[in-house]
Amino acid sequence: MKQTLRQSMSWLHTWGGLWFTWILFAIFLTGTLGVFDDPISHWMREQGKIGEIAPSTVDQRSRAVELGQRHLAAVSPRADFWSIGLPGDENPNIRVFWRADEDAPFKQAQLDPLTGAELQPGASRETEGGHHFVHMHFEFHAGMAGIWIVGAATMAMLVALVSGIIVHKKIFADFFTFRPGKGQRSWLDGHNALGVLTLPFLFVISYTGLTIFWATYMPAGVLARYDGSEDAFFARLSEEPAPRPLQHIDALMPELAPLMRRGEAAIGREASFVVVEHAGDRSAAVRVFGRFDPDAENDRLVGRGSGSALYDAITLETLDVQLPNTVRGGSVLQTQRTMNALHFVRFGGYPMKWLYFICGMAASAMLATGAILFMVKRRKKSANEFGAATARVYRGIEVLNVAAIAGLILACAAYFWINRLLPLDVAERGTREILLFFAVWLASLAHAALRPSLAAWREQLAACALLCLGLPLLNLATTGDWLVAALARGDGETAGVELSAIGFGLIFLAMLRQLRRRAPTLTVDRPETAKTAAIDAIGGR
Amino acid sequence: MSVPSPAHLRLALGSRVLAAVGGGYALASVFSIWLSYLLPAELPEAVLGATLFSFAVYTAAVIWAFAAASAARAWLGLLLPGAAMGLMAAALQLGGAAA
Repeated sequence: MKQTLRQSMSWLHTWGGLWFTWILFAIFLTGTLGVFDDPISHWMREQGKIGEIAPSTVDQRSRAVELGQRHLAAVSPRADFWSIGLPGDENPNIRVFWRADEDAPFKQAQLDPLTGAELQPGASRETEGGHHFVHMHFEFHAGMAGIWIVGAATMAMLVALVSGIIVHKKIFADFFTFRPGKGQRSWLDGHNALGVLTLPFLFVISYTGLTIFWATYMPAGVLARYDGSEDAFFARLSEEPAPRPLQHIDALMPELAPLMRRGEAAIGREASFVVVEHAGDRSAAVRVFGRFDPDAENDRLVGRGSGSALYDAITLETLDVQLPNTVRGGSVLQTQRTMNALHFVRFGGYPMKWLYFICGMAASAMLATGAILFMVKRRKKSANEFGAATARVYRGIEVLNVAAIAGLILACAAYFWINRLLPLDVAERGTREILLFFAVWLASLAHAALRPSLAAWREQLAACALLCLGLPLLNLATTGDWLVAALARGDGETAGVELSAIGFGLIFLAMLRQLRRRAPTLTVDRPETAKTAAIDAIGGR
Repeated sequence: MSVPSPAHLRLALGSRVLAAVGGGYALASVFSIWLSYLLPAELPEAVLGATLFSFAVYTAAVIWAFAAASAARAWLGLLLPGAAMGLMAAALQLGGAAA
């Protein structure tokens, strides 16, 4: 490779960018939606209609712990993990989670807060809500494999950022350059302006995304330097008691309700969760978690803990108490936690969330324009990179562009519709919603593969616009709740979701108009010409 | 600008990709171990701090692998600092064990 630095970096940016752009677009788009996971869950669970849930008394919480413990002892007396979620602002029911051993999947049930009876499917709109987007964002619902795919793509993002900067001679000038209606040049200007505008955000969000999973992605340091046990290493790092090894000796579990009261007194805060590790074993420990205080979140990046108390379940001895809003661990751990907080936007309240949302959408658009630019450039003049297979590879890239960009947006919009249209009483409803989300995405890929590119772009964008603009009507038709009612009762979360959907719908309509203006005749004679016309239209010329 | 067609050019490109992905990761790993001996912090924190920096090293290594004049130089530029840091870390480990 006899090349200048800029040439080799341009090559790296083009090809490294292309092969990762579809995964990265999915990570950025779902992560951006995930900024508002709580409002999305609020909309999906119809919490606006339920209204405020009255604060509970200590007796009510004790009773809930009793009922939760009774259920768990019946379904899984010996368990790696029990968790009892107490009724709170977001959910009036008792939620129990458990898993039999470390390798078993988590199971869950919701219990009536007064009788402890298990609530049957259909009693409420069971959904993963906004968590679906968060899980898509960091693991594609694929567990460890997904985490590694996201990590590799994020490294590619950092490399694309650095190589992109080297390629650009005049970053500052590019920022003010936009030449619309000039085809390839406009796509490049758009890609550059969006990239430069969000550059600090892109670096911060990519780097802090990697350091959340530092010990997973880069375990060499820990593996080379831990002495004795890894658990002890991490316990020393976070200055917390190390997890206790299973003893395999049966033991009777104590009443958890009195421990909850002790925990509340020790941390000076209402309990939100009571968790048992190694239930039914001599090594069992009970942890009482304090309720999260959203107001503590706005003015600081770390040290906003809700407090917790840890007890030996057999001797009832206090093992550890961490007070709310206190910090543990040294300055390096605080640095890492600060980086996490920057990634999760756990600071600054709604204004900061909106800033992240706008930056995330701009970043997604930057990735999309990059992917489209790649094809626009080559439609004008094939670079013939793949020899005889070039035309076929280009077609494949076109199809993936449509499915990965328009198709994913469509699947995300469809997820809201699925939530309202799927019957309430189907089993595993939350999981089914997510399966249907993937089904829509897959259908968009099939559609993109069967239709000429321009038609595929146009039809999928039209479907996106339809789903977004129709969302408030769908909500009115299926639940009787709607935008005006939400605004009238001051329910900003429900109204925010629907107003944002309308906003996105209008953006997709504007894109469609642009497409129509640039490609007035789609009924072209030969397929080859149709394809060229299609890509030219996507490219603007 | 494109995937080169002659066989030896393809091989050189494959070698660079391997240097970037595998060599870069190995270099970042060795770097995190090496730096953990030098950072002025207690053991668990020093490891965490060193690891936080290692992603920047990985990024730089990938850029280097494609910026180097040849695939051989790309490998050399990763292996030399990697070996130096590895040896230093080994010496520090032995010195620490002896003390």
